[in-house]
Amino acid sequence: MSLSRVLPLAIALAIAALAQPAFAHEQAGVSGGLASGLLHPLTGMDHLIAMVAVGIWGAQLGAPAIWVLPITFPLVMALGGVMGVLHIPLPMPEVVIALSALVLGVAVAMRLRLPFVAAAVVVAVFAIFHGHAHGAELPGSANPLAYGVGFVVATGLLHLCGITIGTLTRWPAGARLLQGLGVLIAALGCYFLAQSLGASA
Amino acid sequence: MKARFSRAFVVSGTLVASVTAADAHIIASRLGDFYAGAVHPLTDLQDLILWLAMGVLAGSLGAARGRWLVLVFPLGLLAGLVLGLSFGLVSATPAVDAAMILTLGLLLAAAVRVPAVLLGALAFGLAVMRGAANAADLAPETNRPLFAAGLACAGYAAITLAMALTLTFRRLDDGASMTWRNVAIRAFGGWIAAIGLMMVGFALAS
Repeated sequence: MSLSRVLPLAIALAIAALAQPAFAHEQAGVSGGLASGLLHPLTGMDHLIAMVAVGIWGAQLGAPAIWVLPITFPLVMALGGVMGVLHIPLPMPEVVIALSALVLGVAVAMRLRLPFVAAAVVVAVFAIFHGHAHGAELPGSANPLAYGVGFVVATGLLHLCGITIGTLTRWPAGARLLQGLGVLIAALGCYFLAQSLGASA
Repeated sequence: MKARFSRAFVVSGTLVASVTAADAHIIASRLGDFYAGAVHPLTDLQDLILWLAMGVLAGSLGAARGRWLVLVFPLGLLAGLVLGLSFGLVSATPAVDAAMILTLGLLLAAAVRVPAVLLGALAFGLAVMRGAANAADLAPETNRPLFAAGLACAGYAAITLAMALTLTFRRLDDGASMTWRNVAIRAFGGWIAAIGLMMVGFALAS
């Protein structure tokens, strides 16, 4: 086996061996708030794939979605966050969050070209539900401002990640790859949807 | 060659042997309170976010509108500190700070062309608010002129640096309104506004 094959395997094994629990919800103070806020969107797989899918779909839609998205999405999500902090209930939050991964995955897989306003409304509704979950799960001991900074930065970076991946759409092979990624996201969305429906049944 | 090595060995040996503690924390020296004033706002997340947002907003509006802040902002900090110390002007509530973060973020995200006078008034108001907030944490034994000088210097450096970096970042584009650099600055505004909105929620909830 050549070194180029052994090296990634060794790195992957090392990462797996060194993995530790994230403890995203149990930290205190400014540093704890920052760590919790940063880790919260990254440790929930349903949140993570939906945020990346939003970025990819924005890149597929092109202008103006690709530049409106990073400017407005964190703000709409923060609105949901405020509702979560104030404990304003939303109907079936877990189901809608899982549904968001499914819908956004399908949109990426099918290269769905909705009118900009319609796409913005779809994304805004999902953003409110995702933000609500983050706001409602704020750890009591953490510094709220630091948590807010961490959560907004992590979400923004996930979008940026999605937009960067979405630039593959310029090349035919890349566009196919993105569609495959969309299928994977939609499949994971199906799994989370089944799980949340099972949980709420 | 051998002589050069042995000379280098002796010099490095002497240097290692003569090492003393660095005394990096000169808080106990005469200028300690100056550094306390300079560092105090940098350890507060509210100060950091508000100062950065103000600097980036001023930088995004161009040098002609923003340059007054180099003077106005530190003077506002001093005015706030004096008001806080003399009249016990209590620092703003978290809701006011949150509203300020939200306002600055929205102005930046929407790329509003704020007039120079309004920008100056906004910066002065913010600086007075934060100066008073810093005054609230002053211990009785603190040397006030040194603390004030440190605070003003930190304000001057932070606002000038944030403004200059934003100006340099913007100047590299070709002047079109929707280059990725302008989008990045506006997206940063969106992040700041989102943080402010979250803070409003936390303030309402507490």
